[in-house]
Amino acid sequence: MNKVIPNFLYIGSGVLLTLQLTFGGVFIGTILGIVLSVLRYSGIAGPIITGIISLLRGTPLILQLSFIYFIAPSILGFRLSFLWAGIWAFGINSSAYVAEILRSGIESLPKGQFEAAKTLEITRFYMWKDIILPQVIANIFPAMVNEVIALLKETALIAMIGGLDIMRRAQTVAAEQYEYLMPLCMAGVYYYGLVLSIEFVGKKIEKWKPYAKDS
Amino acid sequence: MLKIYNICKSFNDVKVLEDISFDIKKSGILGLAGPSGCGKSTLLRCIQKLESFDKGTMECNGRVCFMFQDFQLFPHMTVLQNLTYAPDLKDRDKKEEHKNQAESILKNLGIGSKAEKYPVALSGGQKQRVALARSLITNPDILLCDEPTSGLDVSTTMDVVSLLKSVNEQFGVTMIIASHDLDFLTKISDRIILLKNGTIAVDVDPRQCDDPVNYLKKYY
Repeated sequence: MNKVIPNFLYIGSGVLLTLQLTFGGVFIGTILGIVLSVLRYSGIAGPIITGIISLLRGTPLILQLSFIYFIAPSILGFRLSFLWAGIWAFGINSSAYVAEILRSGIESLPKGQFEAAKTLEITRFYMWKDIILPQVIANIFPAMVNEVIALLKETALIAMIGGLDIMRRAQTVAAEQYEYLMPLCMAGVYYYGLVLSIEFVGKKIEKWKPYAKDS
Repeated sequence: MLKIYNICKSFNDVKVLEDISFDIKKSGILGLAGPSGCGKSTLLRCIQKLESFDKGTMECNGRVCFMFQDFQLFPHMTVLQNLTYAPDLKDRDKKEEHKNQAESILKNLGIGSKAEKYPVALSGGQKQRVALARSLITNPDILLCDEPTSGLDVSTTMDVVSLLKSVNEQFGVTMIIASHDLDFLTKISDRIILLKNGTIAVDVDPRQCDDPVNYLKKYY
């Protein structure tokens, strides 16, 4: 019983790594996802982009993480730290899902919005920047929050390449003390707390949409 | 002002427009009548170049603007931003002028108090006026209106008749209005072209007929 608080704090010190991996992954995933979407919609290498997205969604994340950590160094000529390997692996994997979320957001907009911009002689750049994307971002926001939550839980895979995140620390405590229930419950509390926080912030941002209010 | 010669348009081997030819003069109101699926909207979309036609030619002297059946206002912009966004992009030095012009048009159309509202807060009739104002601020020579009375009751339809007529007179805009509502078209147009199965069934001045609605119904 006297180890409960030290164990709880020890496991909790993995929160920072979990958050670094989650938000680093989401940042890279969002940028790469937008790039993939733009390339797909601009007609440049459309089938290749579709193939890349299919491959990223169709193979396990643990495989992609292993590839980047164990195989990529022989191609790149240098080894990434487990943190950067994790951020890139989660980011690249997430980009495929972000690209699909963006696709659904763009396709959910009425065709008339594109046509209205065209009839008003708005150029393609400004049409995407000021007419289409603001509406798409508002529409896909809930799906993006889901993606962040999914990625947060998937970051537990970092243990495979030595990262001491929440889950890995819980397993370490369990192995040291031959006691699984308490450390795993503690890890669950941390993950659930983080997910609830992300949901709370997401809902606050989602509600801030002045043009959706009938006033 | 607008001359169309032998326009043909098909979608997947289905002929929608066949050999359509007509011309229109400045400041008139042309009604495009016909049952659903006869090609009215497609013809308007071809004139606006939202669709390309397969055959034929078109000569147009002037700016064309399109008012969509479902208005297609930009929901994340206020009424004023909906009006001024495109003109501001073209001439960034005249933002204040565009704002004043937009406010004046909105006032003219009876929705001056709605300038800072978002489209979601407007009624159907108010959205239509905003869509009309957004077209007018671009100083069009020809305004294409697709089914402007779709889903409206009789009294609101009469409001639309007087609104479009007053816009036609005040702004001197030539209009082509597509509608399946013969009663509405005969009240507003000085010329009606009735399309049937993608061809022109009749081209008539409704003011020259004793009973234009029944006359047109014969060709429906």
